[in-house]
Amino acid sequence: MTGQATAARRVLVLRCPAWLDSARADSARAHSARADSDSAGCDAVSDGSAGSGSAGSGSAGSDAVSDDSDSAAARAFESVVAVVENFCPQVEVLRPGVCAIATRGPARYFGGEAELARKLTEAVGRAGVGCQAGIADGLFAAGLAARAGPTGLLVPPGETPEFLAGLPVGVLGMPELCELLPRLGIETLGQLAALPPTEAASRFGPPGKLASRLARGLDPRPLIPRPPAADLSVQLEFDPPAEQSEPAIFAAKALADQMHDRLAAAGLACVRVQVQVRCADGQELSRLWRHDGLLSALAVAERVRWQLDGWHGAAGITLLRLVPDQLVRATGRQLALWGDSVPSDRVARAAIRVQAMLGHDRVTRPVLAGGRRPADQALLVPFGDNGVPRRPADRPWPDQIPAPAPATVFGVPLTASVTDDAGREVTVSGRAQLSAPPARLSADGGPARAITAWAGPWPVTERWWDPRHARRQARFQLITDDGNAWLAALQDGRWLIEASYD
Amino acid sequence: MEAGIAQVISLSPMRHRDDVLTGAGLLPVLPALRELLPGGGLQRGSVVTTGDWGLLSLALAAGAVADGAWCSIVGVPAVGLRAAAQAGLDPERVLLVAEPGPGWMQVVASLLDGFDIVLLRPPEQPSAQLRRKLEAAARRYSSVLVIAGDWPGAQSRLLVADAEWTGIGTGHGRLRARKAQVIATGRGAGERARSAWLWLPGPDGAVMAAAEPTGVAGASPHSGFPGRGGFSGAVLAGAVLADTVLANSGEPLVSNG
Repeated sequence: MTGQATAARRVLVLRCPAWLDSARADSARAHSARADSDSAGCDAVSDGSAGSGSAGSGSAGSDAVSDDSDSAAARAFESVVAVVENFCPQVEVLRPGVCAIATRGPARYFGGEAELARKLTEAVGRAGVGCQAGIADGLFAAGLAARAGPTGLLVPPGETPEFLAGLPVGVLGMPELCELLPRLGIETLGQLAALPPTEAASRFGPPGKLASRLARGLDPRPLIPRPPAADLSVQLEFDPPAEQSEPAIFAAKALADQMHDRLAAAGLACVRVQVQVRCADGQELSRLWRHDGLLSALAVAERVRWQLDGWHGAAGITLLRLVPDQLVRATGRQLALWGDSVPSDRVARAAIRVQAMLGHDRVTRPVLAGGRRPADQALLVPFGDNGVPRRPADRPWPDQIPAPAPATVFGVPLTASVTDDAGREVTVSGRAQLSAPPARLSADGGPARAITAWAGPWPVTERWWDPRHARRQARFQLITDDGNAWLAALQDGRWLIEASYD
Repeated sequence: MEAGIAQVISLSPMRHRDDVLTGAGLLPVLPALRELLPGGGLQRGSVVTTGDWGLLSLALAAGAVADGAWCSIVGVPAVGLRAAAQAGLDPERVLLVAEPGPGWMQVVASLLDGFDIVLLRPPEQPSAQLRRKLEAAARRYSSVLVIAGDWPGAQSRLLVADAEWTGIGTGHGRLRARKAQVIATGRGAGERARSAWLWLPGPDGAVMAAAEPTGVAGASPHSGFPGRGGFSGAVLAGAVLADTVLANSGEPLVSNG
């Protein structure tokens, strides 16, 4: 396998912003009830090119929450991967929109790293996709280099520590550390790298150790230098060949479980999985998938789905093989998969079957979270992942709506129009003075209905200390003549419906 | 929220009633909903409708979930999960499939094999043939399919016939509780319609039995809202009602947490 022996592996990361933006927008639409959008200062990196940073943060689940995106996006990204494959057969797909290759071989062939990056971006550009390419020592730095400019950046060999030194610690993508470090005066990766590694590890625990390694331009975890003697791969043959991808995806979950069991027995974990699929006509498709949060069985199956979706093999599937790659010592970070309520096998089986049909992140379990807006009060965690709300429900949240809570909460508020008797839009002054009593409500472009009772305005100011996320609202409760009760808000001069009570 | 759930369990005499628990054919419901359903619970293998999606749909599943059942909610992207929790439906035992996609029938059939209750808002009106398939799946797996919407073959239909919010006026107060009349009809022609007055929701979000309104309702926003005497002693003991409910006008919509 590529360059396992040395930490200074030269890596090229190719990043297609269009994908990341659209995937993010999609997932924001689908999961807007997720409540994470305005918390923590690390959102700037939430598209996850720096995802490797969260490896040790104890949040494999929330990794999966934030970056498992649409299989449609993955399918479309397959065309880009095919182009990159012409340059280097070993392409690692980090997530739809981001992939990586080791530059050593291809750079020699194409006449240097700069030339390789230029030719690669041109080739991808010819396929109609804008992209950025970054080259540096190690995957983490290369990912950041790819985002450094409009076309990416080439960090010469050995200069990675200098490149990283000037970046803020926020790029690590580790929310807790990102909050803590600046308060201790450590604001850049350079300052973090200057700490003795043992101090970082003892002061901040495993996440600190990992952050320190990343800041020094090393791989997040030392790789096990040579593959262990035992073959840890698992495979399943389909006879007769599986004509559709669903059975293979379903089988992939069981296979992944089996693979994890074998790894665990050897005290190992893997950060990369190679998925090999063979067809009845002998064609073979192999892909490397990386996820530094360690791939759960469900996440592996999801990647098998992406791979099969993006590949239009004519014949049925005869073989599915999972090869664990880039082994690391298991750190014993085994989180309980469930809270107090452990689903029975029957429940889990039904949920997993539906995940095989719809995709991993479209089957969710709710976790109550804290927040002022009703839509912030639940976090949706894909079934099988762990999710801990960043804003716990059991803290006091001033301005929270008192009970009873609304039975319907719109993740994305509906647009609305509230007018007075004369048909003018009702406004609220800075001193919470109404322009006129609200008389008619039209929700989501629907017909205007007479308002029979109302209360408000209640001013709500959120995150006033943070201009980027600050939000001022005037809240109302309205009842229309059809008996519906609404939670409405006037924000930036626009009326929104946040929830409905009935 | 947890207090609310514990309350449901402790108030529920169902756990000690042999006819409900050993009669494995019934899933328990909240005490307030019992008289609406034949047998006092949800018949396993049956289909029940609740009219449009709303708190009634959530409340219908709450009793069984408090009793250990698992519930999945399909086709509803905007579930008010805090309302569910306040009504006694523990989110820990809920699975959401907000957008089941074009193959939603297959999704629902799979969930019926595994979940005791499936709440479904059908994304489109299913054909009679598809309805029969899902009814058969519910029967085969002894699950209950609760439909928010119309379902011609349903064994029971619950409907909010009349509802009024209390606590809110024109420019003062706030939404405190909704008193609703729920009417249930069965499939059999000779079966009588059942009716119950409920707090849907009550002041703490719980769903409880309410007194039948007497005299003229609707004269003021507070009419028909009972004082302490309107609730049973058992409910009052643990509930948040009392003073917060009665002293209400002009107070800001802010909980002091």
